[in-house]
Amino acid sequence: MDPVAPSGITRALRIIALLEDSLLVGLLALMIMLAAAQILLRNVLGSSFGSSDQLLRILVLWVGLLGAVAASRDDKQINIDMLSRLLPVRARLGVRFVVDLFTAGVCILIAWHAGRFVHSEYVAGSVAFMNIPAWIAELILPLAFGLIALRYVLIFFSHLRRFLAGTPVP
Amino acid sequence: MILIGLMLLVLALLGAPLFAIIAAAALLGFWHSGVDQSVVAIEIYRVAEMPILIAIPLFTFAGYLLGESQAPRRLVRMTNALIGWMPGGLAVVALVVSALFTAFTGASGVTIVALGALLYPALREAGYSERFSLGLITVSGSLGLLFAPSLPLILYGVIAQQMDIGQPVTIDDLFLAGILPGILMLVLLSTWGLWENRARQLPLTPFSLHALGSAVRESIWEIPLPLLVLGGIYSGTFAVSEAAAVTAMYVLIVEVFIHREIKLKQLARIMRDSMVMVGSILMILGVSLASTNYLIDAEVPAKLFDFVRSHVDNKYTFLLLLNLFLLVLGMMLDIFSALIIMVPLLLPLAIGYGVHPVHLGIIFLANMQVGYFTPPVGMNLFIASIRFEKPVMEIFRSTLPFLFLLLLAVLIITYWPALSLGLLSH
Repeated sequence: MDPVAPSGITRALRIIALLEDSLLVGLLALMIMLAAAQILLRNVLGSSFGSSDQLLRILVLWVGLLGAVAASRDDKQINIDMLSRLLPVRARLGVRFVVDLFTAGVCILIAWHAGRFVHSEYVAGSVAFMNIPAWIAELILPLAFGLIALRYVLIFFSHLRRFLAGTPVP
Repeated sequence: MILIGLMLLVLALLGAPLFAIIAAAALLGFWHSGVDQSVVAIEIYRVAEMPILIAIPLFTFAGYLLGESQAPRRLVRMTNALIGWMPGGLAVVALVVSALFTAFTGASGVTIVALGALLYPALREAGYSERFSLGLITVSGSLGLLFAPSLPLILYGVIAQQMDIGQPVTIDDLFLAGILPGILMLVLLSTWGLWENRARQLPLTPFSLHALGSAVRESIWEIPLPLLVLGGIYSGTFAVSEAAAVTAMYVLIVEVFIHREIKLKQLARIMRDSMVMVGSILMILGVSLASTNYLIDAEVPAKLFDFVRSHVDNKYTFLLLLNLFLLVLGMMLDIFSALIIMVPLLLPLAIGYGVHPVHLGIIFLANMQVGYFTPPVGMNLFIASIRFEKPVMEIFRSTLPFLFLLLLAVLIITYWPALSLGLLSH
């Protein structure tokens, strides 16, 4: 992703990306199968396994946030972007710096507050369902926002590199 | 506070991700009023407390999978065998197929990519002008938003249910309410297709039972899908989330294991791609739960209502202003962000003027549908421009007659509530 960074970091980033994608695809597959199995059980056998509803809802959050992490990696978050197209190339890069750092900063703040939330749930010993502690279900919040912040820091550096090399934003 | 608000607005217009803007506003708001900011994280976690939301990843995945398979080709072939023999039939085929496909794929721009490549050359070959064909395909990309199980309809229901408005807004009701307004749009555009091409000698494909038979055989696995899903939902057999689960599983089995058009390796990529879209929507939904919570704490909806009330004294003026506002909004924002951000503010306002919440949903989506192909941000303009290698403004010009017809449809839908509410049982 970033040839300026030493190869150790590049490899670490590639492994993180692979882990993110595998977890995303695995959890979505689990969601599809669990949701289908639930209907089968409910309609054919007239029963359901106790907590599958709660588990499915938590899966939606995990899949959604991991999808958002993937969207950040592709730089595909929903935005409006009406003004920057009108700017000259150099100014456009300057604008991107600000936007990248702003986004990374907001995500770091949310990750921090989410971390405090998860910690307080850990201390309180809240339970999500069955014997699963709530803090495990909530762990995705600081994790996902931390990863998104990381992406925007990386995007910032890649824009910086292009700025120094004098090549325009695509 | 106003200065910070302006700075956020400028950042948004410069292309900062919307979720970051909304999250920053929520963080600042809670900080300003002395509330612990970890409440933002707690609000985002509420995404895991809405059972209906599971419909969004499941339908989106099914839609992406259908789009990458040969299903669009089979759908075009079958619809053509059914109605291609009518004069202007191919234009009608394009409209009907696109509406059906958009309803099932959640109106994410997939329609133009998946169907445009098939329909555009077919229209040109059949003798339709370049301009007419381009306009038709671009506009068709957002047709079908009002038909079940389109994601914007579901999302409107999800948001409305979150609010304490005293009237139930069920997704089943929204699905019923969208039918007639959706058909109105289809009829208006089809009629225009016939009228515009009345002077051209377009070759007709004669109706052939044989062609229909072979098209049906080819699509035998996909034909039950709309029947199963729509039949299941409208008859009350399936809840929306169950219909989504059935659709995802069914499409997965048919396209991957029966038709074998999607390799397992491709499947992982399609799963990831579809969740990129879902993630970017749910992200905005999550942070908006926090910002909406702050707005309600600060009594913004009530203040907004008082302000509008003192300037607008009747329902019809309100509806007209609502239309104008939504059209402009649709030019700036994609439909999902627009729904998530504006519905919590507009819904109490509309109810105050006696607009039925289900009717408001249909008005909202009908307006937004036009926004898909209006500059400067209309998503379908850009997709069509890339797909057909034409300048954005040329694409926009080609959609103008369709634009006026859809605006007419929007007005009829807005001022004739019975069109939307007539099918509702209560």
